[in-house]
Amino acid sequence: MSAMLDNLSLGFGVAFSGTNLLVALIGSFFGTIVGVLPGLGPTNGVAMLVPIAFAMGLPPDTALILLAAVYVGAEYGGRITSILINVPGEAAAVMTTLDGYPLARQGLGSVALSLSAWSSFVGSLIAIVGIAAFAPFLAQWALAFGPAEYFVLMVFAFCALTSLLGEQPIKGVLAAAIGLSIATIGVDANSGVYRYTFDIPHLADGLDFVVVVIGLFAVAEMLQMLENKLSGQSVEVPPSQRKLFNLRELRLTSGSTIRGSLLGFVMGVLPGAGASVASAVAYANEKRYIEDKDPDAKFGQGDMRGLAAPEAANNSAATGSFIPMLTLGIPGSGTTAVMMGALTLYNITPGPVLFEQQPALVWGLIASLLIANMMLLVMNIPMVRVFASMLSIPGWLLVPGILAISFIGVYAISATTFDLMAVVAIGVIGYLLRKLQMPMAPMVLGVVLGTMMEQNLRRALSITNGDVTILWASTVCTILWVLAAAVVLGPMGYRQLAKRRRAQETAP
Amino acid sequence: MVLNDRTLGVAALLLSAFLAWFGHGLEAAFTYEPVGPRAFPLLLATVIGLCGLRLVVKGGNPAAPNPPGANSRIALMVALLLVYAGLFQWAGFVLATAVVSACVGRLFGGSWLQCGIGGTSLSVLFYVLFDRLLDVVLPLGWLEGLL
Repeated sequence: MSAMLDNLSLGFGVAFSGTNLLVALIGSFFGTIVGVLPGLGPTNGVAMLVPIAFAMGLPPDTALILLAAVYVGAEYGGRITSILINVPGEAAAVMTTLDGYPLARQGLGSVALSLSAWSSFVGSLIAIVGIAAFAPFLAQWALAFGPAEYFVLMVFAFCALTSLLGEQPIKGVLAAAIGLSIATIGVDANSGVYRYTFDIPHLADGLDFVVVVIGLFAVAEMLQMLENKLSGQSVEVPPSQRKLFNLRELRLTSGSTIRGSLLGFVMGVLPGAGASVASAVAYANEKRYIEDKDPDAKFGQGDMRGLAAPEAANNSAATGSFIPMLTLGIPGSGTTAVMMGALTLYNITPGPVLFEQQPALVWGLIASLLIANMMLLVMNIPMVRVFASMLSIPGWLLVPGILAISFIGVYAISATTFDLMAVVAIGVIGYLLRKLQMPMAPMVLGVVLGTMMEQNLRRALSITNGDVTILWASTVCTILWVLAAAVVLGPMGYRQLAKRRRAQETAP
Repeated sequence: MVLNDRTLGVAALLLSAFLAWFGHGLEAAFTYEPVGPRAFPLLLATVIGLCGLRLVVKGGNPAAPNPPGANSRIALMVALLLVYAGLFQWAGFVLATAVVSACVGRLFGGSWLQCGIGGTSLSVLFYVLFDRLLDVVLPLGWLEGLL
């Protein structure tokens, strides 16, 4: 305990220097803006700043603090467009749309924004305490995860997701499978074989996540808005009556926030799982947990607990993903991978000895994560007013605005007309699929995780030369399979039971 | 055409057949791993096919029909999006955004004057914000010589 306090005081000594504070402030603000823009996520934000930080000659601890602040800021920013216009700013914010946008449509946009800023803060805070207390220990545990365990973990994430779709899990499975198939487009990394590219050079790298997400969310949403307008529903989200969440809402969501944070932290520590999986699992978990107890829960229609849990989880996972990076040298997410690249520019190799060799760097980073989070909370609560004023924009200006920002986001990736056309095509398909009540979240998660899932499966099978028993050989795998089965079969059995009970009650 | 779960099922079956047809030929020239590039896509094709079959057999859940006149407006909106995608690089961000924003704005109930002013200011504002301030390079197109 005293060692932890010593370490933290060393860290705060580094973080509280004038330059580092200023850098954390600039980083969090820039990160928030990057997070708001659909298409630009934390990875892009950090990647943009690495060369700038290096060129400016910032010392390694300052550079790392800047990049970490951008990362945390982008995780905060990603939720803003999810809530206000149903377009996730980045992958981990997809779950936030499920309850955040319905809340905004009920005139609670500002409440949702401020509440999610709070749960993001709590999520990060819990993860920071977790890093300080358990980093070296957790790193050892994460080492036990081999490719087979990762594959089964992802199967579990999909099972958890499809179970949150209530009445029609089959559509969830279908959506996830379609998403995973989209991820197979492009050159296969292992064999160099072109898959489903049909000699179109633009498809060699596959369809980018941003192209899919803008199509399925932004373009499909615009078509949906047009349909709603023609059937006499209002296009605009009503402005909020209240700006901040109240004490009752805070109490209602505090359990969800803490559960989401703890779960997110554990998922963040697992290298590769990352914030998108964490927020999906946290949402599914919370939905089941709450709905068992509270029949009035309205998940998917604007339940604040459905907003708090994934928001806490994604920030907690983002912070937790520093553990494998710092202790093992294995990046826990795409963004930490970029940050590791930045460290190597300074001739610093993250790994088991980093905590001993560079304590000031490591603990300074941990302390400044905390400071960046506080700055973001302070910055975000007053800015809720600014963000929420987006809602009073009339439809004839709002929709072209969303359209232009979406197209800019897509164009920024590869600067081709092909991607823009693909976005429109995917948007039309997405609109039709939505009319058929297909859930979009599993599809997007499939696109995000597809490559990783396939790679882990193939790696696992390579180890055993094709023997599939490796997929349930270890204890971790077995536990994950049991959890996955429980998540799928549990609600089904529960529904059957409820049906039987109802039949018995109505029977004479 | 009626949109319902059966339509979705048929579409899923078609997709599954498509994936399987183009997937079964995927083979690496030489490989050192037991699972080649085609196993995963074929696995997914099977899952999609089974889901499709289930939806076709079960049916039901018709989608709510669109209000009268909506389909043609939605088709117009899609056409505008395609025009925007086509013009974006060629005519440049500022021109394409101004024109398409004005037309899309009209679909959402603005007057020509409102939409014209709105579209033009939006395009200039975003150009300055993204291209000049945030370093996201946007195409200038026809305005290249002027700006």
